[in-house]
Amino acid sequence: MSIVGLGLAEAVGLVKKGQLKAEEIVGAHIRQIELEDQKIKAFLTCSFDRALARAREIDEKREKGKLAGAVIAIKDNIITKGIRTTCGSRILDNFIPPYSATVVEKLEAEDAIVIGKTNLDEFAMGSSTENSAFFATRNPWDLERVPGGSSGGSAAAVAALEAMAALGSDTGGSVRQPAAFCGVVGLKPTYGRVSRYGLVAFASSLDQIGPLTRSVEDCALVTSVIAGFDPRDSTSAELPVPDYSFGLNNNSRAEIKVGVLTESSLRGVDPEVAESYRRVQGLISSLGLELKAMSFPSWEVALPCYYIIAPSEASSNLARYDGVRYGFRAEAEELSQMYVKTRTLGFGSEVKRRILLGTFALSSGYYGAYYAKAARARQVISRELNSAFEQVDFVLTPTAPGPAFKLGEIQDPITMYLQDYFTVAANLAGIPGISIPCGLAASGLPLGLQVLARPFAENDLFKFAFLLEKNLNFKNNRYGINTRGRRKNEN
Amino acid sequence: MLSMKIDLEHLSRLANLELTEDEKRLLPGQMEKIIDWVGKLSSLKTGEEEKYSPVDFSLRLEADQVGQSLAQSEVMAMAPEKEGDFLKVPKVLTGK
Repeated sequence: MSIVGLGLAEAVGLVKKGQLKAEEIVGAHIRQIELEDQKIKAFLTCSFDRALARAREIDEKREKGKLAGAVIAIKDNIITKGIRTTCGSRILDNFIPPYSATVVEKLEAEDAIVIGKTNLDEFAMGSSTENSAFFATRNPWDLERVPGGSSGGSAAAVAALEAMAALGSDTGGSVRQPAAFCGVVGLKPTYGRVSRYGLVAFASSLDQIGPLTRSVEDCALVTSVIAGFDPRDSTSAELPVPDYSFGLNNNSRAEIKVGVLTESSLRGVDPEVAESYRRVQGLISSLGLELKAMSFPSWEVALPCYYIIAPSEASSNLARYDGVRYGFRAEAEELSQMYVKTRTLGFGSEVKRRILLGTFALSSGYYGAYYAKAARARQVISRELNSAFEQVDFVLTPTAPGPAFKLGEIQDPITMYLQDYFTVAANLAGIPGISIPCGLAASGLPLGLQVLARPFAENDLFKFAFLLEKNLNFKNNRYGINTRGRRKNEN
Repeated sequence: MLSMKIDLEHLSRLANLELTEDEKRLLPGQMEKIIDWVGKLSSLKTGEEEKYSPVDFSLRLEADQVGQSLAQSEVMAMAPEKEGDFLKVPKVLTGK
């Protein structure tokens, strides 16, 4: 197999043994990006020179880090010292951060190499990456289709072998849904598990950073590095971080209980998604694990709840973009005009829609009926989900209601918001969730399976996902394209 | 929660935004649809307890110590306009 086809853990192993040079790995990825990314457009900014320089340094080191030579792409709402960070927005078009996010520092401290910054829906608001102010990213499995979003560039880069792993951010499903659309693994960790210092804030009570990779093992390894307490993030949890990639094979299967959605909970879901979901249940039974049918009535209002809370927090967080200290500034004669013109020209339509929605929900006269009501609903949704874990260890759902859709296919905002039907409750409750590829639709597009677990149970989550991954056998066709850039047609 | 006419002009003033002609045409309908849709929430029976964050632990306070921060020059390098060590902005009062 060529270098870009190597798994991250595999490649790091070879670098540590001196059988492969980090510089060769970076060189191979640069060639792959040059070959593929004109079509896929996963990257907003590439940092090839910096990556090559880092690689040479790592090759010289005698003691190499846990991620030595791992080529990683970073979603462009996570700041990187000296590398332009745009959030997919005109308002940060020229922004070069003076420091790096904690997650980037942690990756680099373990000798991972940042290859570039990936495209996203502006300020992570969207489910298709079409809302980027710069360009849309294409799904490597079918260039007419979206890669999902908002971490669409990260998912596409990993699927197209342009990076071994990527970081994304997940506020309502923005790591898991694109992972499902692109046939890769994506984790939203427990709220507080991974520092958000240096993640550009969208909705602070929901945002989490998570990795996208081509295997559960790689995901576990990257999570082990980025997780942990950070005094610079006041919501970060002071809990020890286990080595998630250790002992993935040690499942005490007999004791695992798995919650699955009742048939009526799957109404409105694409028939192929429902079918693959049933197939997975069959597989789990055949492994001797106990299944329990469950329903979550409050999910009917989880998205409405989210679409009050997230825009409200966004309207407050995005008030900082005023053209004074950094980013884009529009010319104006007077200060208040300058604020308005900067924001009007700097933000795209979806961002404006959400700022206005949040402003509405927080405004005098509507606060109680909308924002306070949503906060009470959030309590109900969290309780319902958390109480499920008194009966089962994991809850299984499809990741998205359907496979990747075509660019331009969804125009109505609410239809787009429904993409997050299965993912959003985990953000409201703060629990971890992972999406793993579970098969292909007849159209050849990948489908994703979501596994939810108790807060801070990432270790169990990885082990169970590893077991499923092994038995689902998606590994054989996990690369949407092969190393010569042609699509695979198997399965 | 009843469907209502949204005063977009008022909201955009509060949010320091102006709307393009296209947005003025599209947004009112879209916003009303979205607000009707999030209004589904009223059908959910809830208690009085409100949840604003997934974490129960109380937020930490920073120790009252001087730490390392960014150099002034690094911060000023990001400024769209500056004069000496100051951020420069258009006039606050134009006298118009």
